[in-house]
Amino acid sequence: MSEYLLEVKNLCKTFPIKGGLFGREVGAVNAVNNVSFKIKKGETLGLVGESGCGKTTLGRSILRLIEPTSGEILFNGKNIVNYSAAEMRAVRRKMQIIFQDPYASLNPRMTIGDILAEPMEIHGLHSEKTARRNRLLELLNQVQLPADALNKYPHEFSGGQRQRICIARALAVEPEFIVCDEPVSALDVSVQAQVVNLLMDLQKDLGLTFLFIAHDLKVVEYISNRVAVMYLGNMVEVAESSELYGHSKHPYTKALFSAIPHASTEGRAGRIILEGDIPSPMNPPPGCHFNPRCWNATDKCRESFPPLTNQSETHQYRCYNPIN
Amino acid sequence: MTSEKILVVKDLVVEFKTDRGTIKAVNGVNFDVFKGKTLGVVGESGSGKSVTALAIMGLIPNPPGRVASGQIHFNGKSLVNIEPAEMRKIRGNKIAMIFQEPMTSLNPVFTIGNQIEEVIELHQPHLSNVERRAKAVDMLRLVGIPSPEKRVAEYPHQLSGGMRQRVMIAIALSCEPDILIADEPTTALDVTIQAQILELMKKLQKELGMGIILITHDLGVVAETCDSVAVMYCGQIVESADVKTLFNHPQHPYTKGLMNSIPSFDSTSGHKKERLQTIEGMVPSLFDLPVGCNFQDRCSSVTEKCRGSQGEPTLMPAKGEGHTVACFNPLS
Repeated sequence: MSEYLLEVKNLCKTFPIKGGLFGREVGAVNAVNNVSFKIKKGETLGLVGESGCGKTTLGRSILRLIEPTSGEILFNGKNIVNYSAAEMRAVRRKMQIIFQDPYASLNPRMTIGDILAEPMEIHGLHSEKTARRNRLLELLNQVQLPADALNKYPHEFSGGQRQRICIARALAVEPEFIVCDEPVSALDVSVQAQVVNLLMDLQKDLGLTFLFIAHDLKVVEYISNRVAVMYLGNMVEVAESSELYGHSKHPYTKALFSAIPHASTEGRAGRIILEGDIPSPMNPPPGCHFNPRCWNATDKCRESFPPLTNQSETHQYRCYNPIN
Repeated sequence: MTSEKILVVKDLVVEFKTDRGTIKAVNGVNFDVFKGKTLGVVGESGSGKSVTALAIMGLIPNPPGRVASGQIHFNGKSLVNIEPAEMRKIRGNKIAMIFQEPMTSLNPVFTIGNQIEEVIELHQPHLSNVERRAKAVDMLRLVGIPSPEKRVAEYPHQLSGGMRQRVMIAIALSCEPDILIADEPTTALDVTIQAQILELMKKLQKELGMGIILITHDLGVVAETCDSVAVMYCGQIVESADVKTLFNHPQHPYTKGLMNSIPSFDSTSGHKKERLQTIEGMVPSLFDLPVGCNFQDRCSSVTEKCRGSQGEPTLMPAKGEGHTVACFNPLS
């Protein structure tokens, strides 16, 4: 068995655009375009990019909550793309997801106990009554919520506490891999830090593997071992997180880091402010998709799509004119 | 050179009546806004930042809310208990506001040109239709929208989030206000677009000389754009100073805690950093505030004094000029 828990190969997801009176297909959006990556057991891969770059689609495609159009997803060495619904259900016990909005992702009519017990019921775990209750209490303890939370409803909790409940729900079936889709972006900074610490502790204690999706580079850089940067459906750079911050090769990565406001008053030199908006994925610019906003763009960039270049074993980028 | 004070807020209290009793969403807030300067108001959700802004604009929904006491002086004129007709002349004209959600604060059934012209028509009725349209195009050009002559006839759905926020700024600035209140203007935007919008606001401030109140929860944004900062917690200002002093010598444990809970990049030390420092617990409910300092249950340097024996801590001068802090045990 390989050391990689998850391997994604050439994953694509295309959404049709319907138009006209009869809803004919008039075009397609390449939301995720030929993305490949591997995640080691116990590792956190961060995934960053602006809104609309395909990070969430990618995260959901891996769990087949959205059916990928083509490509392979190897989980524990087995390709799960063609699994039937029943086979998939068994695999999903090992792969879970935490969503962005803790207000929308919990059923307001279910108690916390019911919410946490539902995944166990579906997978037939801890079916004996006392065992189930002990497991529920253990889960609450793991996410640092009081035991009396079991009989309460979601509206009785704050945003940070709800996100803890969502984390507990994901942990209920003892997964190996969790997709965290912007788990802290809806939270206040002081609470955000608590949840980030909790995720990192759980990873250490339970040996979890994370795909951590966020648009906040500071949080991603902090929590991840490696970070992948997406732009318009393509992975444009991937590297160890410390390497990516100091020695990014792709101009887009550089600009993303430079755009983050720093909470210190010491002036910074050489801030890069990108011109223009992210182009529409329905109609991406020819060549490198980043060329209209790039200050290093040459004719070559406007003509052909740059291939993935190896900087080192762990650092790849797609750019003809990388930054030195 | 000290610049002109254009807005003075004094002991402002805003109350809301609810089924569970009356709460003070803003409780004794004081600050000044200077011409050509930016004041940052920072705090977590529910700390009263937005309510303070709405009170200045005279937009507190009444009932259930009301300005219970305190004063708001704009260029020497009191804005509390002002005639509605009088306030309408100031709102949008002399004091303008941009909101957090560029997606929902524009009317989807009017072109952006119409929406800019509406403001101009209201406050500068002497202009003709043609002049108004020309002015709308100028405003769009000012905020950096490409080909404004064409864009002026487009609808909000045809624009991206960043472009819509530019339109909001164009509407706010079309009457050249003395004060711009920006309530989380970049929170809904991506970092690269955020950088563009903040840069634009700085540039326009230099050109038009307005005072800005920037409301945000992002300390990074404050550090890069504001001249002075007020930190709010549970409806009160707990610390206020110029931006350098605040970031270099925070004295309130809450301010310090906020700064520590942001992961920083300057990790030259190599791999995995220590745990993030957090502020324990949660913001208390306004219905159930503790006796004494509101921050006591989450504070690391709490003492008996903070639990109410000496009343609530009030803003007192701290070390450094213009630096005030509401804490019995300020950090040294």
